[in-house]
Amino acid sequence: MEYSDQSNRNDQMVRFGIYRIIEHLALIVLFIVLSATGLPQKFYYLGISQSVIVILGGIDNLRLFHHLAGVLFAALAMQHIIANFVGVAFLRWEPSMLVTLKDAQDAVQNVRYYLGLDDRPAQCGRYTYKEKCIYWLVIIGGFQMIISGFILWFPVIATQYLPGMVIPVSKMVHTSEAMLIFILVVTWHIYDSVLSPDVFPLNKSIFTGNIHRKQMKQLHPLEMEEKSETETVLLSARHGHTMAEDHKRTRQ
Amino acid sequence: MRTMIHIIETVILLCLLQLVWTFEAPVFAQERTETAASKYCLDCHVNKSTVKKFADGSFVSTHIDSHAFNESVHGTLDCTACHQEFSSASHPERSFRSKVQYQIMASRRCRDCHSDTVISSRSIHVALLRKEKSGEAIICTNCHSAHMISRTGAGPVAKSEDKYCLRCHSSEGRKSFINGEIISTQVNAAEILGSPHKDIGCSDCHSGFSAGDHPNNRFGSEREYRHASAEICRRCHYDKYSKVAEGIHYKMLSVGRLDAPTCVDCHGTHAVSSPERNRLSIVKKCAECHRQVYLAYAKSVHGGALLNENNRDVAICTDCHSSHSMQSTSSNDFHDEIPDKCSNCHSNPVVMGKYGLSTEVVKTYLSDFHGMTLSLYRKETWRHYGPPPAMAVCTDCHGTHDIARVSGADVRQMKTKLLKRCSSCHPGASENFPDAWLSHYRPSFTIAPMVFITEQFYRVMLPITIVGILFLVLLDIWRYYKNR
Repeated sequence: MEYSDQSNRNDQMVRFGIYRIIEHLALIVLFIVLSATGLPQKFYYLGISQSVIVILGGIDNLRLFHHLAGVLFAALAMQHIIANFVGVAFLRWEPSMLVTLKDAQDAVQNVRYYLGLDDRPAQCGRYTYKEKCIYWLVIIGGFQMIISGFILWFPVIATQYLPGMVIPVSKMVHTSEAMLIFILVVTWHIYDSVLSPDVFPLNKSIFTGNIHRKQMKQLHPLEMEEKSETETVLLSARHGHTMAEDHKRTRQ
Repeated sequence: MRTMIHIIETVILLCLLQLVWTFEAPVFAQERTETAASKYCLDCHVNKSTVKKFADGSFVSTHIDSHAFNESVHGTLDCTACHQEFSSASHPERSFRSKVQYQIMASRRCRDCHSDTVISSRSIHVALLRKEKSGEAIICTNCHSAHMISRTGAGPVAKSEDKYCLRCHSSEGRKSFINGEIISTQVNAAEILGSPHKDIGCSDCHSGFSAGDHPNNRFGSEREYRHASAEICRRCHYDKYSKVAEGIHYKMLSVGRLDAPTCVDCHGTHAVSSPERNRLSIVKKCAECHRQVYLAYAKSVHGGALLNENNRDVAICTDCHSSHSMQSTSSNDFHDEIPDKCSNCHSNPVVMGKYGLSTEVVKTYLSDFHGMTLSLYRKETWRHYGPPPAMAVCTDCHGTHDIARVSGADVRQMKTKLLKRCSSCHPGASENFPDAWLSHYRPSFTIAPMVFITEQFYRVMLPITIVGILFLVLLDIWRYYKNR
């Protein structure tokens, strides 16, 4: 299914605000930098790793870039937690990322549908169970990476409070969890948002903030229903709203 | 009638014999005694005390040993065959700058008969002719001598040369140096014959010496003489020499330290041998100068096994320091190459198997932070920011010459020692810090259980994740095409 830019702009509706777009872009950049500087350390004996190390000016430089990107990633994760906690607690943001019983039911339903035991795929809300799964794996894995990463960066300080064994454990966690997240992202997430026949060649909504109504109906039918009941958001009407209103709406 | 025929036959036979005798007689006479012309020369040249002096003060004896000359391959020739300008009527007075110039001129005479093409059949001559083209003169008499030339086909020149030299050098003799030191000039022929040099001649090493020439080289001291002698080795063993030239001992020598060891100090002179056969002798040799190191080594696990059991597997000096290109041990390169050196034995299952030692030690080191970083530093042939910081290598924890057995050691004491080592690079390291190192063990339930459990968890999780994702993706695609 192709949702080209040439189609009627009135068919577009807002899915993400500028905050989410920037957050996701930052995450992409940091993911690439951390992978590019982290994988050569894990597989340091491979020729390609050593080429990367040479290009970046030696292992010391590579580690420096990895540490810098790690600090930025930690900052990104912290602001995400704080912003969303404040948003949900005080600004009445809907906690749409929380995992509910319905997600488990959706997953079962979808597997039944895949196997031909059911006629309809699961009807999902703002975030599908797949998106939630990736999200929470990245959040939990990300915090594992941050903690183990800082322990490995400052082993002397870490062992002043923790047993020495924490360093090899951290190394094992850091290197293995990185592989897990890396594999999840480059296979499942890339398939789901880039290669899947539903969105091919690319689900642009996280970059433009907009989504085609047809795609919205297909991927997030429940959210579509909710929105249609209250209001119809047309891109052409965006000029009449302030950014704050837009943002508030998209956060619902 | 029959008697007449017999008489005629006898006369003819006698006549034929006479004919043969007439032709052969002068030849026999020439072989046995000097010709008239040669005899004329020997009237004077039999005198042992006369010499021919040259402009630079050098001289050559004019004495000719007529018997030796007759025995030589040129024994049938007249003196004038070579000394063409001379005759009973003429004895020109010629002057030469030096003995060497005289020898060069004399050698040209040899080449009149022994053409370049003929002598090129011997590889040694080909080499010499090549040198001649580059301006270095050939002196035939250096090898073949002047008047006592023997038949080279009868055996290598060297053989007869050895005999010649040993006429004097088999008995006791003394060489003195300017500083008063004295060495014996006696040579034990058996030593040479038992050495790898048994097929080369004296003058191959002692160049400049020959049957006709015995220069009296003066050296300041025995050390100077030994260092000069070592230069001789270079001519054949250039590969080793160039390695030595990179080494620390040569650097010592180049700043005038004559106590630096040289080839002959370790390998011997006439009794030269490959020291590898007797590893203990190498250690003893190094110990002559490096006494303190030797004492520490003797107490170590390596030294103890060598000295007490004559164990051939343990590391000796040259295994780590190399035998020719010894580097300064304070250099970064030397420090960084230590894991390679230890790994030569400690990664070899054949050697380690004998003693029940693990071959994992180097692998576990290289897969950990220090080993990995070091191996990457060593690949950085260019660096923008100075030499890399030192990474802990084997010897930083285990020690160098005093390496001790690890099994059965006091754990608490080892930990204290280790913490001290860690703290030198990681200031402020607490007592917990050394526990971060798993002591070359692979994680298991008994050793580092937390690491082991984490490892096993991900070992299960990673394949499940990959297979699960693949399954879901394939299902998704399958369903999509099914619905089309």
